[in-house]
Amino acid sequence: MMDAGAVTGEAKRHRAIIQFGARDWTLGAAILLLLTAACTQENRTLGPDQPQTPPNGPGDPRAQYFESNDYQVSQGGRYFTWYGCGSCHGDDARGSLDLAADQQRQPVSFDLLYAVIADGHKRFGHDYGAKIPTEQLWQIAAYVHELASLKPERRRRQDLDQAGEPQGSTWSGPVR
Amino acid sequence: MKRRAALAATLALGGCSGVQTPLAPVADQAHSQYDLLLLMLWVCGIIYLLVLGFLVLGLWRARGGRAAAVAPLLEPADKRLGRLFAVWVAIIVVGLLLLAGGSFLVERSLAAAQADETLRVRVTAHQYWWRVAYRDPAGGGWVETANELHLPVGRTARIELGSADVIHSFWVPNISGKMDVIPGRANAIDLTPRRLGWFRGQCAEFCGPQHAHMAFDVKVETPAAFAAWLAVEARPARAPGNAEQARGMQVVTQGQCAMCHTVRGTAAAGRNGPDLTHIGSRRSIAAGALSMTRAHLQGWIANPQAIKPGTMMPAVTLSPADADAAAAYLESLK
Repeated sequence: MMDAGAVTGEAKRHRAIIQFGARDWTLGAAILLLLTAACTQENRTLGPDQPQTPPNGPGDPRAQYFESNDYQVSQGGRYFTWYGCGSCHGDDARGSLDLAADQQRQPVSFDLLYAVIADGHKRFGHDYGAKIPTEQLWQIAAYVHELASLKPERRRRQDLDQAGEPQGSTWSGPVR
Repeated sequence: MKRRAALAATLALGGCSGVQTPLAPVADQAHSQYDLLLLMLWVCGIIYLLVLGFLVLGLWRARGGRAAAVAPLLEPADKRLGRLFAVWVAIIVVGLLLLAGGSFLVERSLAAAQADETLRVRVTAHQYWWRVAYRDPAGGGWVETANELHLPVGRTARIELGSADVIHSFWVPNISGKMDVIPGRANAIDLTPRRLGWFRGQCAEFCGPQHAHMAFDVKVETPAAFAAWLAVEARPARAPGNAEQARGMQVVTQGQCAMCHTVRGTAAAGRNGPDLTHIGSRRSIAAGALSMTRAHLQGWIANPQAIKPGTMMPAVTLSPADADAAAAYLESLK
C-alpha cells in the first residue's frame, strides 16, 4: 500500500480507498439483504379482517398466503391455545387426535382442514364455524396445516412462550 | 383575543393539574418521587449556575485579549488554586451524596411492604388491555373487571402485576412511578392515594402496534363508595330489560363474543378477552381508545381493526339489527 513513488503512490491510495468503499457498500448491502430477506415472511396488513369467507375450494389462492406467512401461522397457534384445542389435541394426544403426526401421515388439503375445524366438531358439541370469526379460522387452519413442518418448540408454544396466556375457559391467571 | 388568552391560560394550567402527570402527585408514592425530582432540580440547578457563573467570570477577566499578554494568573502548583479545587470537589461530592442518599431513601420506602396494606388487586397486562381482579368481599373468589382500577382513598392497595404475553409497564403518573410487568415474574407496587378523582394510567413499555392505546382509568373514591362499587361488580350480570336487549344477550352469549368474553351469570365464559359483566358502568372501552357510548360499542364490534389496528379483537359479522341489539345489551350491563 505504502508505495515509495510519490505521485503514483498518492493516486493508488486514492483508488484503493474508492475500491474499498465500493466493496464495503456491496458487503453492507449483502448483509442487509440477508437480514431482511425473512421479513416478508411476516408481512401483513393492518386493517379490516380478511378474509371474510371460507375457502372456496382446494385451489383458493388465499390459502397459499396463509400457509406461507409466519405471522398468520403463529396467530393460528395462539388461537389454538386460547380456544382450548389442546384439551383434546395436546401433547398426550394419540392417534388421529395427534394432529402433527396425522398431518405427516396423511396431509389434508387446506380447505378440507378448514371444513373439519369449522363443521367437523359439531358432533362433539362444538360449532366452531359459528363461534370463531372467519379470519381466525383461516389462521387456525394454516397452523394445523403447517404443524408437520414446524419445529417442536413452535408446535408446543402453549407450554413454552405462551405458557402465561389464557388457555380455554379454566385459565386462572398468568404464570408467576 | 381575550378568548385566545383564556385558552392559553387554561392549557398552561392544564399542564399542572392533568389526570396523567407526575407533576400533580395525589398519592404518597408519587409525592416522594416528586420530592426527589425537586431535589434533583435544586442540586443540578445550583451546580449549573455555579459553572455558568465561573465561565462568565473567566470571560470577563479575559476581556480585551489582555489575559493572553500576561502570564497565567495562577500556576498549577499555586496553593490558592489547590484550595479552590478542593472546595469545588467538595461541592460536587455533597451534591452527588444528596442525590444518591435521597434516591436510596425514596426507593427503599417504595420497595418496602407497607404495614397498612389492606387491599390486594391483581392486574394482568394483555396485549393491549388490563385485566383487573379484586377479592370478592362476600366469598373467596376473584371479581374481574377490565381497564378500570378503583381505589379507596387513604388506604394502601398492593397491586400484584402479571403479564399474559409480553413485557408491559404499569404507570399511573399522578399516583406512582412505573413498574414493569414481566411474563413469568411477580411484580408488585403499592399505591396510597390521598385525593379523590379520576386519573389515567398507561402502558409505559412498548408492547406492540397498539401500545399507545393500552390505557386505563383510575378512580380514587371514598371507602364507602368503593365498597358499594365492589359489591355491584361482584354481582352477576343483570337480566335484559326489553326484547331488544334480550336479542342482544343471545347474540353476545351464544355467538362469537362468548369465545373470548365472560358475562357472569350467562353462558358466555371465555377467558381471553375483558370481562363484560358490568361493561356498561365503565368509563371507556377498548382500553381507553373510545368513550363508553352505544355508538362506540357498535363501531368497535363492527370494525375493531379500523379503531385499533392490530388489536386481538376480531371483527364479528352481524346483521345491523343484531349489532344494534348487542350494543344495546352491552350498554345495559351496568
